[in-house]
Amino acid sequence: MREERAPGLLAGDSLNLRLARRSLGLIALCLVLLPFADLAITTHDPWAELGRMLSGLLHPDLLATESLPHAIALTIGFALWGTLLGMLLGFPLALLFPRSRLLRGGCAFVRAIHELFWALLLLQVFGLSAVTAIAALTIPYAGIFAKVYAEILELTPRAPVDALPEGVGRLSRFVYAELPMVWSRLSSYTRYRFECAMRSSVLLGFVGLPTLGFHLESAFREGRYPEAGALLWLFYLMIASLHLWGHRRLLPWIALGSLFLLGPWPDIDGALLWRFVSVDLWPQPLLEGNWSGLWQWFSEIPDLLPAIGNTLLLGLMGTAGSLVVALLLWPLASRHFGNRPTRMAGKGVLILMRSTPELMLAFIFLLMLGPSMLPAWLALSLHNGALIAFLVARHADAIVPGSHALPASGRYAYELLPRLYGGLLALLFYRAETIIRETALLGMLGIATLGFHIDSSFAYMMFDQAFVLLLITAALNIGVDALARRYRPREIADTPGQHDRPAGEAPC
Amino acid sequence: MSVEELVRFDGEALGHARHTVLAELTLGLQAGERVALLGPSGVGKSTLLAALRQRLGHRAAWCPQEHGLVPPLSVYHNVYMGRLERHSAFANFLNLIRPRRDAWHEIQALCGELGLEGLLKRPVAQLSGGQRQRVAIARALYQAREVFLGDEPVASIDPHQARRLLHRVQNQHTTCVIALHQRELALTHFDRVWGLRDGRLMFDTPARELTLDDLDTLYPDAHSSDPQPEPA
Repeated sequence: MREERAPGLLAGDSLNLRLARRSLGLIALCLVLLPFADLAITTHDPWAELGRMLSGLLHPDLLATESLPHAIALTIGFALWGTLLGMLLGFPLALLFPRSRLLRGGCAFVRAIHELFWALLLLQVFGLSAVTAIAALTIPYAGIFAKVYAEILELTPRAPVDALPEGVGRLSRFVYAELPMVWSRLSSYTRYRFECAMRSSVLLGFVGLPTLGFHLESAFREGRYPEAGALLWLFYLMIASLHLWGHRRLLPWIALGSLFLLGPWPDIDGALLWRFVSVDLWPQPLLEGNWSGLWQWFSEIPDLLPAIGNTLLLGLMGTAGSLVVALLLWPLASRHFGNRPTRMAGKGVLILMRSTPELMLAFIFLLMLGPSMLPAWLALSLHNGALIAFLVARHADAIVPGSHALPASGRYAYELLPRLYGGLLALLFYRAETIIRETALLGMLGIATLGFHIDSSFAYMMFDQAFVLLLITAALNIGVDALARRYRPREIADTPGQHDRPAGEAPC
Repeated sequence: MSVEELVRFDGEALGHARHTVLAELTLGLQAGERVALLGPSGVGKSTLLAALRQRLGHRAAWCPQEHGLVPPLSVYHNVYMGRLERHSAFANFLNLIRPRRDAWHEIQALCGELGLEGLLKRPVAQLSGGQRQRVAIARALYQAREVFLGDEPVASIDPHQARRLLHRVQNQHTTCVIALHQRELALTHFDRVWGLRDGRLMFDTPARELTLDDLDTLYPDAHSSDPQPEPA
């Protein structure tokens, strides 16, 4: 009888081994490239700074901020109108989405540019007004809604349509036999998107729009940590209580009521707008048809290649970091590990980290550690890792373990992770698009990614340069998304809960 | 006396794109005939019914299994869908928001007959399996067509109810083709039985010439499973 040789390290053809090789490859690539990243800590005493921030969180001062109710109302108003208009635009687009390649491309493009970059662009025309804020949310959300609604509509069960009598018109068929079948999924996605809009609306404060984020940023920047702590708690409270005040019947009234607070509306000068769109945004040599001049113009963009390189590197580091964080943290919130108090605490930490936008986390780390890629890396890894860990823990809770006698490490490695890993990796690759989007954005904090150059081009009124950089950012984002789609695990071992597929959770 | 033949298959193969489900089918459906369609599951009853439905077009009312319903909509709207093609898109849309008076009264009466009284406003998602099946029947009856085609319409309904419902269906439709798995009902409530097995039509015989044993030959393992007939 011939004995079968024991397989070598990571040799074999099972699904999980292939996934393990793929993820180790990702981490190895990240480690090889790590020396190229600037990870210096430049502040004098980061721990003392952290201590001051934490003490601010523990002793929040709610009364320090002026016109706080107004800021809260604006934050909600922007988020609500941005989502609402995005939905109204996105829904009809979703119906055409499967039929038009041009439309799909256009939606991918508007999605690929972060809300804050849209705000920077619109700011030049509409100033610091509600139009800028709402349009900055509406434009990318229309693209997102078009795509996600189209995906949901595609999954409409066929049976009710097949059962209809012959000759039913297209519209009647849609409202009776198709729309009701997917209505709950559409509305739950829309609610989720509104939650994202709340976060984005807060972030709009970072470019100067008077939302909660504006006060948050200045309080942090000026070291008024008790005030910053109070604003941060307020932000968490707003997100956590969404299900209380975000009621279906209440929202229309909030939307109408907020209209009175959103003004003053800007006077829009048509000629100026036209000049901006038709002249200012385009390189002068291109408008003149001077091709060699265009090349010259291009080569004068400072540090273009390093910026692209840094963006990609930070995106890679963020993805690998998220993977590690997710692997380490998901047991914190799972019923298979620890006891009730540890799980409560674990869940709390994960929810806090995933509710804090990357930009805000990065900003806090930046104040602590000084400007380098390190704060951005930490922020990306912690936020996305916590988000994935939370979803993986939810999947894990649906698994009934076979034998109860295993120690925790055995349960983790033998019972649970083999069943969860495919799903975890799929989530990670879904997030990759978001991570690269955020990476570019984090440049606005002074980290040398594309966002830094976009921000400074706008600051120097070099709109043509800013616009080209935005286009490059969008192209990069679309490219990374295609790459992640290619390597995303398709055959997932046995993840429970197919219905809460990450599709809905993708770009927030 | 000449009987109108509604549909005729002449040595035809029925199936999906590349996969033949029923080979060399020769069969005719006469007007005024109540036909029971029997055979093990997966043999092609649904395929045959779909082909009949296609040939008959507007003359046939169609009663699929319960998954043809729209669970989030109310019983009233699900039944109303039987006549969706007879109203304009605008009228249908308004009806979603505010039920039409005439349709409401008619559907209320129909549902009363089928034991669904008081449930008109309830979403189908909240009904039991048997109730859903009756909603599907109500929708087919509401279509008010000449021929009734049913794909196991009384599958999840108790025998007594099933008999009552078949009676109600046949009162309104002199011609019907109904797939069943209760063999006794095939003999007591139908004029003719079509028996399918192994992708072929095994028999096309008047019901009075058949016995339960004849019907058992359709099911490969009938002798081992449920030997006792349902109480008549």
